[in-house]
Amino acid sequence: MKTAMTKLFRIRELPVFLALVIVVLITGTANPEFFTLSGFQDITLGVAVVATLAVAQTLVIVMKHIDLSVGSTIGFSAYLIGDASSQGHGFWYCMGLALALGLAVGAANGFMVAYLQLPSLVVTLGTLYIVRGIFNEVAGGNTITEDMVPGPINFIGLNTFFGIPYLFIVAVVLMLIVGFIMKRIRSARDLYAIGSNLLAAELGGIPVARRVFLAFLATGAVSGLAGAVLLARFNTAAANSGNGLELSVVAACVVGGVAIAGGVGTVYGAVIGAILLQAITMALGALGIPQFWQLAVNGTLLIAAISLDRYLSTRVKPTSIMGAK
Amino acid sequence: MVANQSPILEMRNARKAFGGVQALNGADLTLYAGEIHALLGENGAGKSTLLKALAGVHKIDSGTITLNGKPFEQGSTRLAREQGIAVIYQEPSLFPDLTLAENVFVGRQLQSGFTVNWKAMEDEANKLFAQLGVKLDATSSARGLSIADQQIVEIAKALSTKATVIVMDEPTAALSSKEVDRLFQVARNLASQNCAVVFVSHRLDEVFALCSRITVMRDGATVGTELTKDMNESKVIQLMVGREVSELYPKLEAKIGDVVLKVESLGLAGQFTDISFEVRAGEIVGLAGLVGSGRSEIVRAIFGVDKYDKGSVTLNGKKLKPGNPSAQMVSGVALVPEDRRQQGLFMSSSINRNSAVTMLKRLSKLFIIREKSEAKLAKSWGETLSLKYATGFDPVERLSGGNQQKVVLAKWLATEPKLLIVDEPTRGIDVGTKAEVHRLLSKKAQDGVAIVIVSSELPEVMGMADRILVMREGRMVGQFDRSAATPEKIIAVATGASTS
Repeated sequence: MKTAMTKLFRIRELPVFLALVIVVLITGTANPEFFTLSGFQDITLGVAVVATLAVAQTLVIVMKHIDLSVGSTIGFSAYLIGDASSQGHGFWYCMGLALALGLAVGAANGFMVAYLQLPSLVVTLGTLYIVRGIFNEVAGGNTITEDMVPGPINFIGLNTFFGIPYLFIVAVVLMLIVGFIMKRIRSARDLYAIGSNLLAAELGGIPVARRVFLAFLATGAVSGLAGAVLLARFNTAAANSGNGLELSVVAACVVGGVAIAGGVGTVYGAVIGAILLQAITMALGALGIPQFWQLAVNGTLLIAAISLDRYLSTRVKPTSIMGAK
Repeated sequence: MVANQSPILEMRNARKAFGGVQALNGADLTLYAGEIHALLGENGAGKSTLLKALAGVHKIDSGTITLNGKPFEQGSTRLAREQGIAVIYQEPSLFPDLTLAENVFVGRQLQSGFTVNWKAMEDEANKLFAQLGVKLDATSSARGLSIADQQIVEIAKALSTKATVIVMDEPTAALSSKEVDRLFQVARNLASQNCAVVFVSHRLDEVFALCSRITVMRDGATVGTELTKDMNESKVIQLMVGREVSELYPKLEAKIGDVVLKVESLGLAGQFTDISFEVRAGEIVGLAGLVGSGRSEIVRAIFGVDKYDKGSVTLNGKKLKPGNPSAQMVSGVALVPEDRRQQGLFMSSSINRNSAVTMLKRLSKLFIIREKSEAKLAKSWGETLSLKYATGFDPVERLSGGNQQKVVLAKWLATEPKLLIVDEPTRGIDVGTKAEVHRLLSKKAQDGVAIVIVSSELPEVMGMADRILVMREGRMVGQFDRSAATPEKIIAVATGASTS
C-alpha cells in the first residue's frame, strides 16, 4: 500500500492532472454549461492543434533542446495542403507535401543542432523566421478557403466520433503512439539520457548526434503533418497561420511537467498541460472573466509549474547505502 | 594471481599526444585476473589519459593494447564496454532523472521483443545491488544519491556488462571511512570473481591496504610496477615525483596570537548543535569527523553561505552577521570550498579572471574591470603557487585538478584574509601539489592568519593542525591537542566507538 502511494506521488503528471480536475469542477459548478457535450467539444477541439505539436515538442525538450520553428512549419504546411488541393492534387499528395516540408525543416534544425553543435534555441528561432519568410513569399495575400480544403481534412475537422471530435482523437492516438515509443523503445529512452546528463550519455556510448538529429527530424515531420490538423480546425490558412503557436506549445509541455532542463516528462503530461491551458481559457470565458486575464493566468500557471518542479526536485530524499544518515 | 597466468590486459608502450602535449609517452600496464592493481602518479602524469584510452574515449597514437589475448579494438566507449572494460570515473556519470534500473542498463536496456522490459531491468538491477550488499531501490531516480551510492550503481552497471576489467578512478576521494570500507569489500569481491580491478587513488594508505600490485606513472610513462609487499610509501612517492619529497606536512612554528574567530553555541536545526570554539592568529585548527558529521555545514555557516539559527560568530571582537558571505569577505574571512568545480571556480572563465574575482572591487576603476591588473595579480599568485599553465587567458577547466585547486587558493589568498577556512584542500590532488598546498597553509599561519582546515584525511588534519576538533552527528564530541592526537583516538570519537 505504502509503495503504491509513493509510486502514485512519483507521477510527475499528477499535479497538473489534479489542477485540470479542479478547474473543470469549479467552472462546471459556476457555469453548468461547461459540463455539457458542447463544452467538452469546445475544449477538446480547441486543444487539438497545440496537443499535437506538444507531443512532438516533448521529444526535443526531454533532450534539453527546444524547437521554436513548429509554428511556422505547421502554418506553411496547412497553406501548402490547401494550395495543392485547390490545384486538383489528391489528399495523399497533399499530405506528402506536408510531410516533405516537415522533414526538410526538421532535417535542417537537426543537422545544425546535432552536427554543427549550434544551440537549438537560436537555430530554431532562425528557422522560425526563415520558414515564415518563405511562407509569406509563397502565400502573399492569398487565403485558403473552405472549398480548397481536401475532403478528408474537412471531414475530420467537422465531425465527431460518439461525441468526441476526430481532431482530438488524432491528437490522442499520436500521444499514445509516441508515449509508448518513449517508454518502451531503446533509442527513444536515449533522448531522456541525453537530456539528463549529456556528458554521461556520450561516455556511455549513446550515439548522441544521431539521436538529436532524428528527434528534430521527427518533431519536424509531425509538425508538417499537423498542418492538416490546423487546416481541419480552422478550415482556412493564410500567411499568418500558426503564428506564435510555438510558445503555447512550449508552455503546454512545461505546465505538463516536461522539464525545460531536460531528462523528464512525458507526452501524456504535455497533452494534459495543453488541455489545462485550454480549459482555463474556456473557464475564464465561461465565468465571464475578461479575456486579457487569460494570458496572465497562463503565465502564472507556467511559473507555478516550474516552481513546483523546482520544489519537488529539491525535496527528493537521498537514500543511502549506510541506511540511517 | 599466479605467476605463469597470462594477463587479462596488456598495454605496451602506449603514446598519445594532444596538440603539443605528450600525455602518454610509453605507458605500460599489465593486469591479471583476480588482482586489485593500483595506478599511481601525480596529476598530469597521464593516468586519466590512460584510463580514457581503456574506456575507448581516446585512441592511442602508437603502442599496443591486448585484451584477453586479442588486440583491443579502440574507437568508442561502446566498443570498450562490449569488450569487457568498465571505467568508473571520479565524477560518477549517472543520469539523475532516470531510475537506478535504467541507469544500470542505459543504452542497452533489457528488452522483450523490441520493447524495453522494465520489470526485468528492475529485477536484474535489484539483484545486482543485493549482490553488492547495498540497499538501493531500482525504481527510484538517481537524483540526490550520495557519491558512494552513485559509485555502487556504476559498479552494478559494470557487473551487468560482464566486465572483466573494472577501473575505478579515485573512487574514495569523496567517501567517508565507512563508505570506503564498503567499497573495499566490493572491490575485493569483484577480484575474487576473477575481475581485474584498477584502483586509482592519491591516498597511499588505501593503496597499501587494498592493492596487490602497484604501477606508478610519471610524465606519461610507466616508471615501475611492483608487488605491494615490495614497496613502501616513501618508495612510491619517490617514483611518483622522481625526487625525494622533503615532507608531506611541513608544519612551521607559528606565533600564536589573539583570538581571531570565536564561535559560540552555534546551531542550525538538522545540521549541527551547540558548536563553540576559538581560533587564534597563527593557529591551525582541524575539523575532523566523518562525511556528513556537519563539518562542512559549520564552515559554510561561519562564512555566511548558510544561515544559522542559534549562537554567534565573532571575528576580531566584532559579531558577524549571519548569511552574508560578501560582508564576511570584507571583514577578512575566506572560504576555500569543498567542491572546487562547482563551488570554487568559474570553469569556463580564464585563469586570470578566476584568480581576481574576489578582488574585483579593488581592481576595478569606475566599475570597469582592468584586465591588465587581473593578469598582474594572477601572475604574482601563479608564481607563489608554482602554477603550471600556458597563458592566464586559458579557461580554468583546461587545468589539472591540482592546478585548479591552486587557482581557488590564489583567489582567496589574494583577499589577504585574517581567517582562512579550507574545506578538503587537497582532495584529489597529487602528493607533490599536496605538499605545496600544505607548505602554503603553514606559511600563512606563520604570517598570523587563523586557519580552519576541514579534511576527511586524518593524516592531513593531524599533520597540519595545532588543535583538532572532532565532530559526530552535528555535535562537537572531542578536542585534541596536536601532541595528544592519535588516529585511533580520533576515529574512536568520530565514530562514537567509545567516549574518551
